[in-house]
Amino acid sequence: MSEQRSAPVYLNLFRINLPVGAVTSIAHRISGVLLFLSFPLLVYLLDLSLRGPDGFAAAVDWLSNDFIRLGSVVVAWSLFHHLIGGIRFLLLDLELGITRPRARVTAWLVNIAAVAAALLYLWWVL
Amino acid sequence: MSGSTDGLRAWLLQRISAVYLAGFVIYLLLHFYLHPQPDYPAWRAWVAQPLVAIAFAGFILALLVHGWVGLRDVVLDYVRHLGLRMLILTLIAFLLIGCGFWAVRVLILVSL
Repeated sequence: MSEQRSAPVYLNLFRINLPVGAVTSIAHRISGVLLFLSFPLLVYLLDLSLRGPDGFAAAVDWLSNDFIRLGSVVVAWSLFHHLIGGIRFLLLDLELGITRPRARVTAWLVNIAAVAAALLYLWWVL
Repeated sequence: MSGSTDGLRAWLLQRISAVYLAGFVIYLLLHFYLHPQPDYPAWRAWVAQPLVAIAFAGFILALLVHGWVGLRDVVLDYVRHLGLRMLILTLIAFLLIGCGFWAVRVLILVSL
């Protein structure tokens, strides 16, 4: 286990060059974990909003809180990235777009589209 | 979980559930964009429709499967200490199953 390794170790994040596909991939994981963490809150909101007119009003009230709105942008980004990136992964599994240039282009598209959709959501929610 | 086909089964479950989740999420996004829910009666009536409630319950089930496979992958990759790994996996399982039952209970109560 404690065998010495000769591989260089870069702890400076700015010196590590991740290929764009790796960014898409790690963002897929991060967004997945964030969606998991928001799951209880979303079920709570579903429950509250269906408890009656008062519960519905409370849920709407809860969603109109500024901090919750800001947090919901993170959830929105997670959902969009996970959805769009997930569709890309499924297409890659079907061997669609697996050549390196194509995969790089679609990775960029996923990263940009998810951020754009989150910004659109922010604009819509404000 | 054990056996040589486990990885393949998890891989398949992850993708089958992904297709259902993607379809349902796209449907939800389109629905809420086209028909924003302005009040409680409309929202409740929509959720209580049998087709919506059943599709929603299927969504919750797919979410549990998908979330479990995905989070298990993440934990197995980053948490190397065996005890800690088991503890985190157990917490995740409890949280997923708990929230799943909670959501299905809400859907059933609304449909009655």
